[in-house]
Amino acid sequence: MTQHDADGSVPALRTDRLGRRYGKVWGLRDCTLEVPAGAVAALVGPNAAGKTTLLEMIIGLLEPTEGQVSVFGQTSRADTAETLARVGYVAQDHPLYRDFTVADMFHLGRAMNPSWDQELAAARVDALGIPLQRKVRRLSGGQRAQVSLAMALAKRAPLLVLDEPVSSLDPVARLEFMRDVMASAADAALTFLISSHVVSELERFCDWLIVLSHGHVQLAGPADDLLAAHRLLTVPRATPDAELPGTAIHRTDSDRHSTVLVRAGADQLAAQGRPGWQADPVSFEQLVMAYLQRPTTVTTHDDPAPAAERPGPNTKAVPR
Amino acid sequence: MIWVTWRQHRGQAIACLALLAALAVYAIIESTSMRTAFSNDDLAACLARSQGTGCPAAVDAFMNKFGSEVNIAFWSVALIVPGLIGVLVGGSLIARELEYGTWRLAWSQTVPRSRWLAVKLALVTGGLIVLGAAMTAVITWYRAPMDRLTGHFLHNIYDFEGLVLTAYILCAFGFAVLAGLLIRRSIPAMVAAFIPWLAIRLVVEFVLRPHFMTPLTIQGNCGPPNGCGYGIGTVPQATGRIGDWVLSINGNTITYQPADRFWPFQFIEAGIFVALTAAALGATVWLLHRRAAWTA
Repeated sequence: MTQHDADGSVPALRTDRLGRRYGKVWGLRDCTLEVPAGAVAALVGPNAAGKTTLLEMIIGLLEPTEGQVSVFGQTSRADTAETLARVGYVAQDHPLYRDFTVADMFHLGRAMNPSWDQELAAARVDALGIPLQRKVRRLSGGQRAQVSLAMALAKRAPLLVLDEPVSSLDPVARLEFMRDVMASAADAALTFLISSHVVSELERFCDWLIVLSHGHVQLAGPADDLLAAHRLLTVPRATPDAELPGTAIHRTDSDRHSTVLVRAGADQLAAQGRPGWQADPVSFEQLVMAYLQRPTTVTTHDDPAPAAERPGPNTKAVPR
Repeated sequence: MIWVTWRQHRGQAIACLALLAALAVYAIIESTSMRTAFSNDDLAACLARSQGTGCPAAVDAFMNKFGSEVNIAFWSVALIVPGLIGVLVGGSLIARELEYGTWRLAWSQTVPRSRWLAVKLALVTGGLIVLGAAMTAVITWYRAPMDRLTGHFLHNIYDFEGLVLTAYILCAFGFAVLAGLLIRRSIPAMVAAFIPWLAIRLVVEFVLRPHFMTPLTIQGNCGPPNGCGYGIGTVPQATGRIGDWVLSINGNTITYQPADRFWPFQFIEAGIFVALTAAALGATVWLLHRRAAWTA
């Protein structure tokens, strides 16, 4: 099993046929994906798509039922210091101890992480005007998110996993939080994996996209390449999918026209396009929505489109 | 991890110290008056001379004044205190992390959860042992005059001296830690731990303890007019010796546990509760380790 990308570099994250079963129900199955070093990757999917299950296995909080995770080429084993040290984690809702002060939280970080960077943690909250002596229960939601992020960064792990980091924040705090993430990613050459069920939150910030639903990866790859490889075609209503260029991902029929999101390169469009058809670029959100509404296929960025389609091994999987 | 444990439990530590301080204040006041009465009535000399038979009036006066220290009403309230201490400290140890979602924070630092748990259990258990020993010392000291009259086998004395008080606290703590992991909520875990703790405690007290060792029998003189009494004011016991534990009197045959079995009994009973503690905490360690494989 190779640990390397096609170009020989070690991916920040690689999961190989990763699966997790809860009783008889698979929360996630057959999840193979890679995130290159330095990427800011968006993990998008509806609630209960298996996002948290996937993230917990990546962090080392949860043991996979099958398959494995490797972080920078090192195979992870759940609940071991080596695995835990490689990943910084901001959990959903930013859990912190309510009766601790910010300084106490950082003391905890220092006590529980050998590579803790106290200066970094202190500098971050100082820059945001969060007093070190303030109790966690008196912080705003945005401040708690920032303290959680500061702790994850100060752990000095090369991969950071953020689970729904902004879903509990107001729009201004969302923007500030994501800007901070981007600045950290640029400054320290970190790799981020950020989950969200709201696509628009991540659109401006992420250069890598993973769409997960029903416990399966629906789409994964560099965001720009994925956008470039899809078109929104407006065609007469009667046009069957078979006549369209590339692969029809999602189709909306109106009275006279059909709007079809297709996966097709420019050459296919040029060759198979007809007069009167209109081909528009797709937005991040349209792309994600199209794949989320097509629940049982798997496509990865480096596969040619038609060959990539194969049925998921367990189409009845119900996420927990 | 030591700092983390201290920071998370320091509120409980302070509450325990406050409890200990309140107990000490009560003990000093009560003990002063007990010791004064004991020496004024010259009970020491009487006890040495005649096991208390020579001074019934002085014994009665003392027991009338201080008998409530060892009566069953006092005992039935004091009985639950070690259990409450144990479940209050143990119930939140894991359950609060699960309740508030902070387990994701606690267990995603560079410390595997089994080590996190081991350090916490070791330190908190150590603290409870210190607390139990201190409470035992204070209680043993302040009731010393009473003990010289009644021996150490009365419920309200035996249960708060020697080793068992600490063992009771630890057992309730162990049950509550395990219940917290299984139930995932602090208050229900405390209740769920307290009930079996109390049940086991009462069964051991009333069913098992009289038979920890084979009782002895002795022929007494229990016919009229003197008779043989059981009561806590009966000094000395029907066997004629202070501190013997009379289990039953059948005609003139007195079945009893001799006073010098106090320490063997303490070791046996503390052993039972420490074993239960170890079983509960061992199960907790194993379950938490396995938890990564079962569920988030």
